[in-house]
Amino acid sequence: MELSKDDVRNLAKAISLDIPESDLNTVALRLSSLIELMEQIEHDLGDEMDKTDPIPPVYPREEF
Amino acid sequence: MNETDLAYMSIAEQAALIEKKEISPVDLIQIYLDRIEKWDGVLHSWITVCGERALKQAKAAEAEIAKGHYRSPLHGIPFGAKDQITTGDVPTTMASIIQPDFGEGMTATVVSKLEDAGAILLGKNNLHEFGKGSSVNFHFGTPKNPWNLEREPSHSSTGSGISVAAGLVSTSLGEDTGGSIRGPAWANGAVGIRPTFGRVSRYGGIMYAWTQDTIAPITRTVADNALVLQAIAGHDPQDPLSSDRPVPDYATHFTTDLKGVKLGLVREMSVGRELHPDVDRMLKAALDVLKSLGATIEEVSLPKAKYAIPLQFLTSDPEVASIFVRKWLRTHYDKFDVGTRTRLAAAALVPATLYSRAMRGRALVRNEILRAFKSYDALVTLMNFVPPMKLEDSVEKIDNKEDIATRMFKSRRICTYPFSVANVPAISVPSGFTDETVPMSIQIAAKPFDEITMYRVAHAYEQATEWHLRHPDLEKTVGPALDRAAVKMAGE
Repeated sequence: MELSKDDVRNLAKAISLDIPESDLNTVALRLSSLIELMEQIEHDLGDEMDKTDPIPPVYPREEF
Repeated sequence: MNETDLAYMSIAEQAALIEKKEISPVDLIQIYLDRIEKWDGVLHSWITVCGERALKQAKAAEAEIAKGHYRSPLHGIPFGAKDQITTGDVPTTMASIIQPDFGEGMTATVVSKLEDAGAILLGKNNLHEFGKGSSVNFHFGTPKNPWNLEREPSHSSTGSGISVAAGLVSTSLGEDTGGSIRGPAWANGAVGIRPTFGRVSRYGGIMYAWTQDTIAPITRTVADNALVLQAIAGHDPQDPLSSDRPVPDYATHFTTDLKGVKLGLVREMSVGRELHPDVDRMLKAALDVLKSLGATIEEVSLPKAKYAIPLQFLTSDPEVASIFVRKWLRTHYDKFDVGTRTRLAAAALVPATLYSRAMRGRALVRNEILRAFKSYDALVTLMNFVPPMKLEDSVEKIDNKEDIATRMFKSRRICTYPFSVANVPAISVPSGFTDETVPMSIQIAAKPFDEITMYRVAHAYEQATEWHLRHPDLEKTVGPALDRAAVKMAGE
């Protein structure tokens, strides 16, 4: 997923964040990289992730 | 005993002298203030030094001890705090220029506990802006590695690592989300831990990665580290996620051998990667020491560990960004460093669906790590596959996609993030030096709330080696830079 500067500008608009033109390319690169990496993780672990609850910060009843 | 020897002593040694009244806390504070004045113009490890406040408290401590009221082995011991940990009347800048003090009068529980034990706040340590490790420019000076000014001092709790390693304070509290304590400990040749999440109160730390942030000490020895953790650990009603499990007496579990201890050497975080020759040599020697102490070592594979870096960026960074967008990013965008603001802006735009999926991924990484602890008492890894990089190479290239991807999978982060997203305790222990005399470290991790085993292995290893006894010769490493600065001033 390669996000464009316009994609980033519109996403940012949804949370009322005004990212200056000079930073749009860097933010697009960073976000695109994260999304691409998550696509790889979904490919590798997606089925297992469906069967696992999201991590809670603490496991109060867990024995280690 | 000269002042340099005193400055580099362990807390245990300093405490013994203070208790016997052979040195005064006032003298100790003054030694550190003098050293900070001499060296920190180059090292940039401090943002605020509260000398008068510290001397006043040292005089009070001296009087208290003289009357026979010796509170603890931390009585009269100076400490620093990463400048994102609140300290009452001493400002908390977050290394930002947005406002002079983010502390709002709060005092972090860890600071209160140290002060209750008699320790004395010496000042606030420099950090990457807001504790995010992506600063390109530093508003309070670029922190420098005291062993070699051309090498990186690592990221985030940087000033804490430098100041302890350079003998500018006895210990410093840092904050570790992904490796922000262990990294600076590694690069500067100190001991740093990430405790189990919930072992230490987060109250009063301005952090916001609420599923992963931890506060803990950087010290010059493992025993000192356990001593400080002992003082700050435990349940805090002001941090609902802090654990009410009892805090064990870590030092009573120290041993000089590791007979019967089974260690797992994590392939993906050590021998499974291409290693720098100096790191390879160091690792082999460290494993030989551990074996000589009686430990058995087997290789273990954690194939999901490689996902830890993107999973952290997709979870803890959005948690931080969710606060920053409302408080400062919308209104003070241009006052952030470009590396910090573009990282936070990208994190702010991660969809909730991806965040939730990444949290599921984190559970899988954690489960894999916890399964390993069914077979091994502790896990051993490197802190990095290469020694500390050249300073200029350690700064993120924010407009280069390949550089971003490299940092996701090939950087030091792959050695620390797996234990961070899994919220298990891990410690960075000095383990050798490169040919250029730059420090290197191994890492020991244990199952949740088993800091006893983590410390025991680290302490036995440390005591069988002499790496913790080496300190940077600042006259040689920093002195020439002072001379250059003096010449420049004279010529101006």
